[in-house]
Amino acid sequence: MNLDSVDLSILGPAMLAGLLVLATHVPLGQQVLARGIIFLDLAVAQLAALGVIIAYSAGLTPGGWQVQVIAITAALLGALLLYLVEQFLPQVQEAVIGCVFVLAASGSILVLNANPHGNEALKDLLAGQILWVSYEQLLPVAMLFALILALWFGLRQHRHPLLFYVLFALTVTISVQLVGVYLVFASLIMPALAIRIAQSNQLWIAYGIGALAYLAGLIASAIFDLPSGAAVVWSLAIVSTFTAMAMSLRRRGATMTN
Amino acid sequence: MTRFHAVLTGLLLGWWLPATAQAELNIFACEPEWGSLAQTLGGEHVNVFTATTAQQDPHHIQARPGLIAKMRRADLLICTGADLEVGWLPVLLRQAGNDRVQPGRPGHFMASEQLPLLDKTGSVDRSQGDIHPAGNPHIHTDPRNIAKVAQALAARLALIDAANASRYAERHRDFDQRWQAALNQWAQKAAPLRGISIVVDHNSWIYLEHWLGLQQLASLEPKPGIPATVGHLSSVLNQLQRLPARMIIRAAYQPDKSAQWLATRANIPVVTLPFTVGGTDQAKDLFSLYDDTINRLLGAL
Repeated sequence: MNLDSVDLSILGPAMLAGLLVLATHVPLGQQVLARGIIFLDLAVAQLAALGVIIAYSAGLTPGGWQVQVIAITAALLGALLLYLVEQFLPQVQEAVIGCVFVLAASGSILVLNANPHGNEALKDLLAGQILWVSYEQLLPVAMLFALILALWFGLRQHRHPLLFYVLFALTVTISVQLVGVYLVFASLIMPALAIRIAQSNQLWIAYGIGALAYLAGLIASAIFDLPSGAAVVWSLAIVSTFTAMAMSLRRRGATMTN
Repeated sequence: MTRFHAVLTGLLLGWWLPATAQAELNIFACEPEWGSLAQTLGGEHVNVFTATTAQQDPHHIQARPGLIAKMRRADLLICTGADLEVGWLPVLLRQAGNDRVQPGRPGHFMASEQLPLLDKTGSVDRSQGDIHPAGNPHIHTDPRNIAKVAQALAARLALIDAANASRYAERHRDFDQRWQAALNQWAQKAAPLRGISIVVDHNSWIYLEHWLGLQQLASLEPKPGIPATVGHLSSVLNQLQRLPARMIIRAAYQPDKSAQWLATRANIPVVTLPFTVGGTDQAKDLFSLYDDTINRLLGAL
């Protein structure tokens, strides 16, 4: 037990990173669920990670813009491929998504084979190092995410399916490097899954679930000295499950009194 | 005050007292061997936190909030240095923002800077594997290096906590006396090991080899830090058929699959060494660490 670590200056940047990730991932996650392509994000996130790994192996410095260009290109190409599959071969889209995921994941292992820090880089991109995030790092992310949200909600009326794939690839590429593949998946799917039975204010309830879960997960990781990223994934699952159960009990109660 | 309050207060006091009242110097040690040394030299004047365990690879660590909090309160940081912790120590120092332990300050103590390193390449070509350009950082596998680091550390403790300077000097004199006696015993006991040939899991044993006169024939890793591949293991096996080794040496924290693979085919034993304090049940402190290391090596002859 360690109460000293429950400190805003320690957990603050991680919490802010979490809120930024949630801001974009919750609405995109609803879309992922609606389209029934749950593993799209794992595939695209893994492709972005592969891009980052290729960039590192080519000797580019972490955090540089060249790394971002390569990562975004990899994710965009993957998203474009999956969009085309959705258009022309919808019945096998889920299978193709699975194949892309496995290929990207094992591709990372192949690229990293000759790199002594490969295992560490791979682990960082999966489990993430949300705690090492700094405020300066979050400023460009916040601006980019604001732009993505403006496009997503601004074009609500005439949204082309391709827009979803492009915005999705951009968002996931950035967030994977901040919080890792596991948290990206959990932030997209878990709150969106929990609020499916809510009749109104779905988006805001999902935001609430996400924010509460990040806060609780980070505090739990501070008190019990646990790796923060993994703790938040479990916290998201717990908060989402309880919220969904509470909402379904309330609805059952309401129908019974009627 | 209700009984509940009394219990609560008692709990809180029990919680805070060890951290505040007893100890005067907060020490953040990166690896167990330095944590153990700091505790031995500092005694009741220090409060030591060790960031990694003997079951962990010190090259890598998962980010936990507690690490930042401990680093923030540290008066003295003791790590191996020579790039061993390069994957996590710089970010941890940045996030903690504690001036007392930043590079260049008296509170920043790197053990590898206290003695000349082996394997200095000066090359930063990472294609050659996990080579540390400043030299091989695993200095603590030779106990003679512990004596050198202990001397420098005692001086550093006295510099930071001048009020207790004489106590640190006294504790160091006592430690050094016992350590020199132990070094003589170890040298005698380990005499049969001189000249035997070994295969290692990772290039973390060159100081041990230097100390005991072991001959390293091969490493399970094709390049330092890169996991064993079947092709490389086969070529090592070939090499051993021409020129046999007596044993394979493996650190307790490393996975044992590749060592076992080679051991069954080359028909030589795998010796699992504690590597640092806590790596085996017997290696409880610095003294028993080398006792156990020598016992295990002799046991495999």
